[in-house]
Formats: sequence, structure tokens, C-alpha cells
Amino acid sequence: MRAALAAAVLLLGVTACGGTNAGAGSGGGAWKPRGDVRMIVPFAAGGGSDLAGRSIAAALEKAQPGLKVTVENRDGGSGAVGYSALLGKKGNGNYLLATENAILSLPISGQVSFTRKDFTPVAKLAEDGGILVVKKDSPFKTCTDVVNAAKSGRVSVGMSGAYGVDNVIFTLIEQKTGVTFQRVPFESGGELVPAVLGGQVQVALLNPGEVIGQFRSGDLRGLCVTTDERYTYPELASLGTAKEQGIDVSYVQFRGILGAGGLDEREKAYWVQAAKGITRTAEFQKWLKDNYLQQSELYGDDFAAYLEQLDTALAPLLKKPS
Amino acid sequence: MLDNLMMGFGAALTPANLLWCFVGVLAGTVIGLLPGLGSTTGVAVLLPLTLSFEPLTALIMLAGIYYGAQYGGTITSVLISTPGEAASVVTAIDGYQMARRGRAGAALSIAAIGSFVAAIVSLVLLVAMAPPFAKLALDFGPPENLAVMLLGLTTIVSFSSGARLRGLAMAVLGILLATVGVDAATGLPRYTFGDVDLLSGLPFVQVMIGLFAVGEVLYQIRQGAAAPIRARFRDLVINREELSRSKGAIARGSLIGYLLGCLPGAGSTLASFLAYGVEKRVSKHRDEFGHGAIEGVASPESANNAAANANFVPTLALGIPGGATTAVLLGAFMMYGIQPGPLLFDEQPELVWGLLASFFIGNVLLLVLNLPLAPLFAQMLRIPYGYMYPLILVTSFVGAYSIDNNMFSVWIVFVSGLVGYFMKKFDLPMAPLVLGLVIGPLFEKALVQTSAMGDGDLTLILTRPIALVVLALAALLVAGPSLLKLLPRREKETV
Repeated sequence: MRAALAAAVLLLGVTACGGTNAGAGSGGGAWKPRGDVRMIVPFAAGGGSDLAGRSIAAALEKAQPGLKVTVENRDGGSGAVGYSALLGKKGNGNYLLATENAILSLPISGQVSFTRKDFTPVAKLAEDGGILVVKKDSPFKTCTDVVNAAKSGRVSVGMSGAYGVDNVIFTLIEQKTGVTFQRVPFESGGELVPAVLGGQVQVALLNPGEVIGQFRSGDLRGLCVTTDERYTYPELASLGTAKEQGIDVSYVQFRGILGAGGLDEREKAYWVQAAKGITRTAEFQKWLKDNYLQQSELYGDDFAAYLEQLDTALAPLLKKPS
Repeated sequence: MLDNLMMGFGAALTPANLLWCFVGVLAGTVIGLLPGLGSTTGVAVLLPLTLSFEPLTALIMLAGIYYGAQYGGTITSVLISTPGEAASVVTAIDGYQMARRGRAGAALSIAAIGSFVAAIVSLVLLVAMAPPFAKLALDFGPPENLAVMLLGLTTIVSFSSGARLRGLAMAVLGILLATVGVDAATGLPRYTFGDVDLLSGLPFVQVMIGLFAVGEVLYQIRQGAAAPIRARFRDLVINREELSRSKGAIARGSLIGYLLGCLPGAGSTLASFLAYGVEKRVSKHRDEFGHGAIEGVASPESANNAAANANFVPTLALGIPGGATTAVLLGAFMMYGIQPGPLLFDEQPELVWGLLASFFIGNVLLLVLNLPLAPLFAQMLRIPYGYMYPLILVTSFVGAYSIDNNMFSVWIVFVSGLVGYFMKKFDLPMAPLVLGLVIGPLFEKALVQTSAMGDGDLTLILTRPIALVVLALAALLVAGPSLLKLLPRREKETV
């Protein structure tokens, strides 16, 4: 009985922490969130988006003393569940979301009821590049080798999800070079690492943070990066870009903050201002360094313009039914 | 290696680390106890609190939550047929029946003892040969996983208690229900009816809470007021016969759990189902299964704990998450600035060995904590059901709400509760349904991947030696009992 009571108390505590504290600013002057702010992470705990959300939340708290940001994982449907949760918070300035490319690829898929226009772009903070990765004893030395092999035979590639960044990049490579890859579907980047290590697939596209440990031990090798320019991190500087190797493809995953839709100008101005303080914090810089990200800032309307531009480029690429 | 382990104990046995190890396993037990709050959520929620700790101290505490939850999940399974964790679902079958017969104390004790033995066995295996097992796990690609899922499906027969057709029908229903959500291969939603919450599929834990807890309460109410179970205190303690019957079950459960736990993704839930299935095949008391056989508690509890520890094999040796909770722990490594990967053992010996040593310490703490508590917890059943039922219902619904903070979960529990009531009323077995729900998505994924690897040709599975061995095991499990009758002395080799 005592245990049950203790359990109930703990439960109530947890529920209370999770309770909503929607606060609207009082009229006149600058707006400030009242009560706790929620940062929705539309992917499961432990992944790259989760790390991004948690680090950005910590950096926000540091940059804005007195602000309390609670992270909430709402995963499912390749991110659709989390974005839909934010959709339901229209006009509520207390909700943020750790966003990345799914905000564009999900609407293009035609399976969700929202588009980027339903939200308020706050800030783009960083870019996460992709590396084409093979097992150490693979015959491939460059990305050109992979394309050449796919011209004459089958090359199996792992996919982390139907709307993932890797799907976009492999589709781009296919369109530029006229080859077709044999796609094997997985559910996350975490599943792709053992698949490449065990020889289940020949090639996969992964973020540097996901493979750096395997690079250092020599179990995996990188072939090329999909960033515009080479990495400046010493461990990755020797990897050529896809462009250098004659494959005219460059695409990265962006990481940033999205606000709920229908925010007024004062709320939007507050969050853009708050976001501008993030990149100066030690928490943010540590997250960049630990995950081999590149700082890349765009705020408010500039971020919105970037999304629009990327959307126009992606739409014809992803629109065909798979 | 012994030097390393000694160094690990040196690092883990500081007062601060001991204290946080205790806090971790205690918090884990409570988290496991609560329906809905699983170890993954528990670790993720408490992770930010540990950011100011030394990395080793933080990891010791977080890991303690993880394996502590494996102990705690059992308690409500046995007492009120409400599994606190997915891996404790099977335990509810025989554990709850034991409790109805006044043997709740024994069920809880054997669960704690089995969990402890399994933990020590799997830890010794983990310490002695994590790298070779991790390498072996890498050979398990989609075709091998497909074979493992087929093996898992063969255990359905074991959960049908006589009525095989009913069991099969329920398993098929479970697999069908598991297809709700986004299709992994194409990303297209299936059977979601435009509902956003259904995109991530029917939430497993909520369905389970509804089927087991709410369904049981409704069914009991229909039966009329049941008398509270009064057992003399000395009857709450496990007896010698029960102990000796459980020995083989614990050994087999530990081994099955360890092997499945090494595979990234397969996890402890599947291990507990498989262990129960195997036990029912090989046990001398197989007629008692489903009616309160102590082996039916000992084997799945050993298996899920062994699997939880074995999840650390790929995590520590390769930097690949073995399951959902170890994925969160890997995220924690990175937050403390430690890069997980194959070099972790070489670069962070004190951290890795300290963590491993803390597993031994934590499991001893859990045994010491759980053995005396078992009879005490069992006394909870003396509470008249008039007070117990509302408590169970409230805990179930509040627990469901706390998972995602939304009403969708509550509705799922409500509907599943009604389904559970009618299943009991019409004597339809519940475990095959749950097994179908667990294996469905894993089975489908392996099937789609194998098909993609073989360009649509599934005979690929026959060209892979490991997959063939697993398939042979599955065949043996199905044909086993008839073979056993011919060769009674071959019993041990079926494991």
C-alpha cells in the first residue's frame, strides 16, 4: 500500500511536470513567455534530433536567464506526429519545435495536413552534412566508384526512412548520373551502422556524429561528403566532396527552431531575439563540436525564405509516389 | 581482464557512486512498477538531472534505472495482472494465477532470484566476451532477423493453452493490429483514417494496460466481489520445491535472454516470450502452465533481465544501441563528451569497467531490496477488492495519460479494456494477441528488408547459414514434444 501511494505521488509529480502552462503575454510593450516553454522533438529520445532539441533548449535557458524550456519527445510517422502536435498549438507562443528537413519532405509526401506555412520559422542554427560510408574492406574508394559500380551491377544502399535526407541525396545522385540503387529500408541512422558493418548493405549515408567512432577504429570508411565544401574538423578534412568527385550533388540537413503558427509580431520578435543569443553559449558550441555540425544562422524571415527556396527545389524530386 | 574488473570495482565503490547506484535502482524499481512509465521514459526524464554529475556517476545511476525497472515491472504483473513494462507481459500469465492461489510472495521471490541469477550470468558473459558476441550480432542481418521472428511466432502455440485455433486467431489479430501506422518501406500511412495519433501505430503499452488491467477489473466485477487473498506470512515465502523446480527454467531463460539481447533491436520483450515458449515445451510440469506454474514466472523474468544486460554488448562494444533505452544512454554518453564506438573499451577503461562493476553491485542491491519486499508486496492483496479496483483503474488511466500527456492514450486504454473484458468472457487467450502486436512490426520489417535485399526473392534466407540454424531451431520447437516422447533423455539439447 505504501509503495502504491509512493507510486501515485511520483506519478502525479511526473504528470504535473508535464502539465501545460500556456501563458499569454499581457498587452503593451515587449512580450515574454509566461510559465514553462515546451520544446517538441518530433523524433524519439536518443537520436540526432533529440540531441539537437535538448542542446538548443539548454542553450536557450542559458541565453535567456529565467526561461525554463522543457523538452518533450513526440515521435512517430517520420516526424508527422510531432509537427501535428505543434499545429494544434496555433497562436500559443509557449511552444517551440526542434525542426529539420522533415518540415518540407512530409508535406511534399501529401500524407499530412500541414505545410511549412502553418508554422512560424524562428531560426536555422546549424547544418549536418552527410557522408557516404562503407565497410573497411569495401572495394569502393570514392563516391565515383559507387556510381560506376551501380552502372554495371547492383549496389545496395540503406535508407533510414522514406522521407529521410539520405533518400533525397540518393535520389539526387540517381538523377544526376542515371544509375539506380537497390534500396533497403531501415528505420533510423542507428540501424544503418550495424547494417553496413555487417555487410547487409554496401553503402549508407550517415551524419558524422553517427560514424566518427567507427571511423577512428577503422571499421568504417568515408567516401565523400555531401556538403558544399570540405569539413574543417581535422578528422573529416581529408574527405572530398561529392562535387570534387564529379557528382554534382550537395544537400545537407538543417537544424533549427520552429514556433507555433499564428504568432503575433511581438511574440515572433521575442523568439527571434532569444534565438540570436543561442550561438554564443558554451552549450551550443559544445553540441556543434561533439556532433561535427557546422554553424549556419538564419533568423525569422530569412529562415522562411530559405525554407521556401529549398521547398521549391525538393518538390519535383520527392513528389512521385514510391 | 580481472585487473580491469578490479579497477572497475575500485571506481564504482566510491561512496558517491554507491549512493547514486542505489538511487538509480530504487527509482528504476518504482518506474518499472508504474504502468506506462517505462525505463526508456524514465531514463530520458531523469537524464537532465545528471548533467552536473561526473560521467561515471551519471551513467551508473541511469543504467541502474534501466535494470531496476526490469525488477519493478514484475511486481504489478504478478499482484494485479498489470504489467509495468512490456517485458513483463508474459509474467502476468502464470504470476497472476500464482497470486490468486496465495503464492504471490513466491512468484515475486522467484522473479527476483531469477532476475539476479540471469543478471550475474549475463554480466559474466558480457565482461568475458562482449566483443565476439558483438561481432556475431553484426552477422544478424534482415534474413537472420526474419528467421528469429519466425522462431518467435512458433511460440504462439505455447500461449494458446489447448485451444490452438483461438490462439492462432488472436496472434493473427495482433499482427493485423500492428499494421496500423506508417509503413516502414514506403512511408505511407495504413489504417490511420486520417488520425495523426495513429500514425505511430497502436501504442503498445496503452493497449497492454487496457487489455490486462482494465479488462481484468471489469471481468472480476462481473464475477462478483472476490474475497481478498489471505495468506499466512510464512506461506508468502518461497519453498524448497518451488526453488528446485525453477533452476532449469532460470538457466534456460538466462541463456535465451542473453543471446536475443545481443541482437540490436530484438529486445527483452521477445526474449521473455521465447523463454516462456521454450519452457512450456521442455518443462515436466507443462500442464500447469497458464494455471500458475512457477517456471512460467522464473523463465521470462530471467530472460528479460539477461536481455537487458546483453543490450549493453552492442552498446559498449560497438557504440550501437541494443534497444530503446540503451539508445537514450548512448545519447547520454555524447552529452558527457564521451564518443561511443569500438574504441570505448580502450579509451575509457575506467568508465566502461566502472559501469560494468556497478551492474554487479546494482543487482546485489536489487536482490537485497526485492527479496524481503516480496512478502510485503504480496500482503497488498489483503486489501479488499472494493478499494483495490478503483486504485488499479486510476493508476491505469493516469499512467496512460502520463505517457504522452494526451487523451488519445486514455481512449486506447478504455477501448482495449472493453476488448480485454470480452476476450476473457469468451475465453480468448490474450498473450498471443500481445505477441502478435510485438512481433508484427519486427516481422514485417525483416520481411520487407529481406525482400529488398533479394530483389523480391525470399529464398535468400535459405542461403544464409545462421538463418538456417535458427529456422531449424524453430522446427525443433514445433516438433520438439513429439521428438521428446521418443527420446526422453535428449531434453536438455532442445535449448
